[in-house]
Amino acid sequence: MNLYELTATELSKKLASKDCSAVEATKSVFDRIEEVEGKVEAYLAVTKEEALNKAKEVDEKRAKGEALSPIAGVPIGIKDNICTKGVLTTCASKMLYSFVPPYNATVIDKLCSQDMVMTGKLNMDEFAMGSSCENSYFKKTKNPHNLSCVPGGSSGGSAAAVAAGEVFLSLGSDTGGSIRMPASYCGIVGLKPTYGSVSRYGLVAFASSLDQIGPFGRCVEDVAMLYSAICGRDENDATSVICKYPRFTANCTDIRGLRIGLPKEYFGEGVDAEVKKAVTAAVSELEKAGAVVKQISLPSTDNALSAYYIISSAEASSNLARFDGVKYGYRTESFDGLIDMYEKTRSEGFGDEVKRRIMLGTFVLSSGYYDAYYKKAKLFQKRISLEFEEAFKGCDIIITPTAPDTAFKLGEKVSDPVKMYASDICTVTVNIAGLPAISVPCGKDSKGLPVGMQIIGAKFTEQKLFDVASFYEALTGGPQKVVHVPV
Amino acid sequence: MNIDIKKVAKLSRLKISEQDIPKFERDMQSIVDMVDKLPDVSDLTLSLDRNDPMVLREDVIGASVKRTDMLKNAPQVEAGCFVVPKVVEE
Repeated sequence: MNLYELTATELSKKLASKDCSAVEATKSVFDRIEEVEGKVEAYLAVTKEEALNKAKEVDEKRAKGEALSPIAGVPIGIKDNICTKGVLTTCASKMLYSFVPPYNATVIDKLCSQDMVMTGKLNMDEFAMGSSCENSYFKKTKNPHNLSCVPGGSSGGSAAAVAAGEVFLSLGSDTGGSIRMPASYCGIVGLKPTYGSVSRYGLVAFASSLDQIGPFGRCVEDVAMLYSAICGRDENDATSVICKYPRFTANCTDIRGLRIGLPKEYFGEGVDAEVKKAVTAAVSELEKAGAVVKQISLPSTDNALSAYYIISSAEASSNLARFDGVKYGYRTESFDGLIDMYEKTRSEGFGDEVKRRIMLGTFVLSSGYYDAYYKKAKLFQKRISLEFEEAFKGCDIIITPTAPDTAFKLGEKVSDPVKMYASDICTVTVNIAGLPAISVPCGKDSKGLPVGMQIIGAKFTEQKLFDVASFYEALTGGPQKVVHVPV
Repeated sequence: MNIDIKKVAKLSRLKISEQDIPKFERDMQSIVDMVDKLPDVSDLTLSLDRNDPMVLREDVIGASVKRTDMLKNAPQVEAGCFVVPKVVEE
């Protein structure tokens, strides 16, 4: 067995017991990258030299007997919208093609202080806007399970790299499903944490009231380990919540009495029959193990997508106003005056999807339309939150499909933005209500593509999500294996 | 609701070429039609979350980024300043 095939927690234990070195593990990952990256195209930048130097440093620290974090020496990849000091951070956009941040995001500082070995920066939809990773300015990442399919988005590179064994763990960001949905398509585990539990400082802002950084791994325990390493209050993010965070575990062996809510709206029209079948079968397994399943209703779900696209685009239009060709990033070559420079820079620097969202956001915030769209969407957000609060009075967790389908073909939805937006139908409500949710693999469809099950909890109940997800994972054969990529 | 692409593009500081306008018009109209479906919610009012007071950090001097490091990313720099086209007419 190659080292890159281990889970992150298995590797962490081997490193601690000196069964292998961080340098060996890192080399194994880069050998794998060499082998499959040409097919998968998950990385925008590979930082091999720095990674090997860091791995050597970790091995030396360990040899001296220093107390180290469980993630010390574990190779981790980072989505390219998270600022890494001295390493290109492009958001997969021409607009930031040359941007080298002079500072680290808080999550990067946290991981560096725990001796992370960073393998590189991972591909995504431009500015995290998209559901297929096809909106990247630089390259199209493929799904390791089927190279003619998309990996999901927007954190497609983060998910594909972990699934293909090109890294042990990765960080993504999730504004409307951008961690869970690619985790589902690539057959791995992804967590969207409670809003405010992970600092957003240094995450290039898309929709600030919805964005949240979170981990990917090939098993629930890996995700719990990385989440433990990044969560917590940060003075540099005023929305980060002051709260006591435990070290999270994922070894639950008893779910008797657990109350599971199944919202009928997530199993209706628009959700693929095979996906419904796989998720329902997974829930039956949990029921057999002693969980109590009850049908519930979250009636506002059907209109959540509208509210989501209004709120997220409104915030994006103001967040992306900073890209003006003055302080950093792309500037157009020739222009006639300041306004012309702004307009040309932005028109040449942003891709079509980013332009559509900026224009939608500008439209819904413009004079005469504000009440009809933005204010209404904010009220609707409250309604969705109240519905979840009410639901959690009668159940401990809610289970739904993560995505309405499995990975679709590259190019299949690019020409129809509204069709692409519908991919987020099962995930956006969670961001709107600020809740945590995890996606775990629950079988495959008839084409051999992975199906994801979404487990949603009340705010700050990540431990419960890890408990249920790890219990289910153990029932169904344990951690996901590295996907065989035909080369 | 109909959307005036030229006006919205101008407000967004974007330039859409004449040949791209029909495509953007069509896409944006279908997106606006989608978000138009939001039902009435006049039974609710917006209020701040009393349980979520934002805590501001102490106003103390801390480490910062050097000007030279900050300017490294700028498209055009002169004498330690960002260079922009002339803004004020004589």
